[in-house]
Amino acid sequence: MATDKIVLRGLTKQFEVKDRTITAVKAVDLSIREGEFVCIVGPSGCGKTTLLRILAGLETATAGEIQIMRNDPSKPLNSMVFQEQSIFPWMSVRKNIGFGLKCRGVNRRTIAEVVDRYLSMIGLQKFGEAYPHQLSGGMKQRVSVARAFANDPEILLMDEPFAALDEQNKIMLQEELLKIWEGSRKTVIFITHSIDEALILADRVIIMTSHPGTFKASIEVDLPRPRRIAELRSDSRFNELFTYLWSILREEVRKAKVSEGLTFRDEDEHDDHSRTLGDESKLVL
Amino acid sequence: MAERNSAVRDATGDNLISRARTEGATDEGGLAFRKQKRSRWSMGGHSNAVLGFLSPVVILVLWEIAVPLGLLDGRFFPPPHAIAGTFWKMVKSGQLFSDVYVSLYRIILGFLAGAIPGLIIGLSMGLFKPVRWLLRPIISATYPIPKLALMPLIILMFGFGETQKVITIALGTFFMVLINTMAGVLNLDKIYLDVAKNYGASRRDFYLRVALPGALPLIFTGLELGMGMALLLIVAAEMTGAVEGIGYRIWAAQAVFKTKEMFVAFILISLLGYIFAEALSTIQRKVIPWKSQ
Ligand SMILES: Nc1ncnc2c1ncn2[C@@H]1O[C@H](COP(=O)(O)OP(=O)(O)OP(=O)(O)O)[C@@H](O)[C@H]1O
Ligand SMILES: [Mg+2]
Repeated sequence: MATDKIVLRGLTKQFEVKDRTITAVKAVDLSIREGEFVCIVGPSGCGKTTLLRILAGLETATAGEIQIMRNDPSKPLNSMVFQEQSIFPWMSVRKNIGFGLKCRGVNRRTIAEVVDRYLSMIGLQKFGEAYPHQLSGGMKQRVSVARAFANDPEILLMDEPFAALDEQNKIMLQEELLKIWEGSRKTVIFITHSIDEALILADRVIIMTSHPGTFKASIEVDLPRPRRIAELRSDSRFNELFTYLWSILREEVRKAKVSEGLTFRDEDEHDDHSRTLGDESKLVL
Repeated sequence: MAERNSAVRDATGDNLISRARTEGATDEGGLAFRKQKRSRWSMGGHSNAVLGFLSPVVILVLWEIAVPLGLLDGRFFPPPHAIAGTFWKMVKSGQLFSDVYVSLYRIILGFLAGAIPGLIIGLSMGLFKPVRWLLRPIISATYPIPKLALMPLIILMFGFGETQKVITIALGTFFMVLINTMAGVLNLDKIYLDVAKNYGASRRDFYLRVALPGALPLIFTGLELGMGMALLLIVAAEMTGAVEGIGYRIWAAQAVFKTKEMFVAFILISLLGYIFAEALSTIQRKVIPWKSQ
């Protein structure tokens, strides 16, 4: 029953900035199964957000093909949790969480029930009527996660949703996310910088290369479910996978650093590494 | 819990400041802290209010003394007590109220006739690029023409009646509201439009749940400026073809050198300006509870 939910072929995205072209995503081939939980990791600036925005329909690809299967017309196809602050300052927490439902014309009583459920899930029952300026950064981020969950889409697109959270809240929400996912088996694409987090959550971790981002490796995470976050870190298989992932990723992070140093002189010249290879040894990771 | 909810809802009420202070350092700490900050501000505002009250009083006293001393020409600057006398006379005769009533009617009608289209067109131009491209040249070209320069044309088109006055005021208000509303929408972080799109907002949702509330702070700036314009233009509009109104009173007083009546009219205009500004900022506090100040 492992049908493909999302198929990307040769997906490329270029931005025209003034007189030059930035390739954010380059020839990505990827297929994601129905109900699969995929984590994407890659160095900063490698095009993860761009990829997600294309999937969310907020950006159009320059080249390539996207196929997304739609199963349930009564549900929204995808809902995104944005990397940056994105809850509406002019709406109360409740209104923010219920935004997607309201847009779809769901009746008021149902919205109130759903909002209540997710308010308590993110531990902000007392703040339902508060406005975002009265919340801390982490609380705002929890609201934006609740907004996506409440919308109950077929595909959840999450762009480093827990990066700004403290450790306790992070673990709590990771557990909630796993619970929701195990209950509903939505397709989830989850971007993170944390290898830990990727291994805790994912069925499969996809590693992207440094700028311009393309597909580098895909690693199946064969840890049994349901997973207990507290116990995972001492699991030997977990640590094996961690070491393996890091060995792949570290090379890309190093490349990203080198090309950042290069951009002042010759931009986007990736064949020109030889000249700076001597500098590379000086870089500390 | 109900009490906490209400504390959040009317966070501007002063009585809540003390309550927030006494409330323990539970998870509400963040809220309490923000309220304390606000209370410090309002204490500063208190002493400022005293200072603000002092300066006009001093000026009035100096004025009253300066006229008999011959430092100020009483023909142009009648002493405050004489102006007060005329004010009272106009109250008793009822002339003052009918002037205010007539002008108020024109101002409000003109204000609404300008602000509502300004708001709708401003939102549309802010939200939709094609609309912006289509209308921006026309707006940029017509906005700088002084509305006073257009008055003779308006009079030719509509005669000396009410329509001419309402349209003059509407024009002034229209541009102020339109330009500020558009700026308010364009200033919105693009991410909010992305969220709206991703969460399936309809065109109506874009207007009513995103652009309008998001642009409200600048819309109110536009309304305030538009109100100022309306007060400015009412005087000009009532210069001709009027038999009553605050503006008319100024011109009529000039013709027969009744400077005291003129000053009464000045006071009325300034009073109207003050009341409008207060009313707008009260409404603003009600409809923009999400602004931190
Ligand atoms: N709207 C845009 N216009 C021009 N360039 C852009 C735009 N959006 C992204 N880019 C460029 O595309 C590249 C990828 O950006 P993206 O935001 O997708 O990175 P990311 O992988 O999400 O990084 P991070 O992990 O830091 O969030 C960057 O080089 C960035 O400068
Ligand atoms: Mg990103």
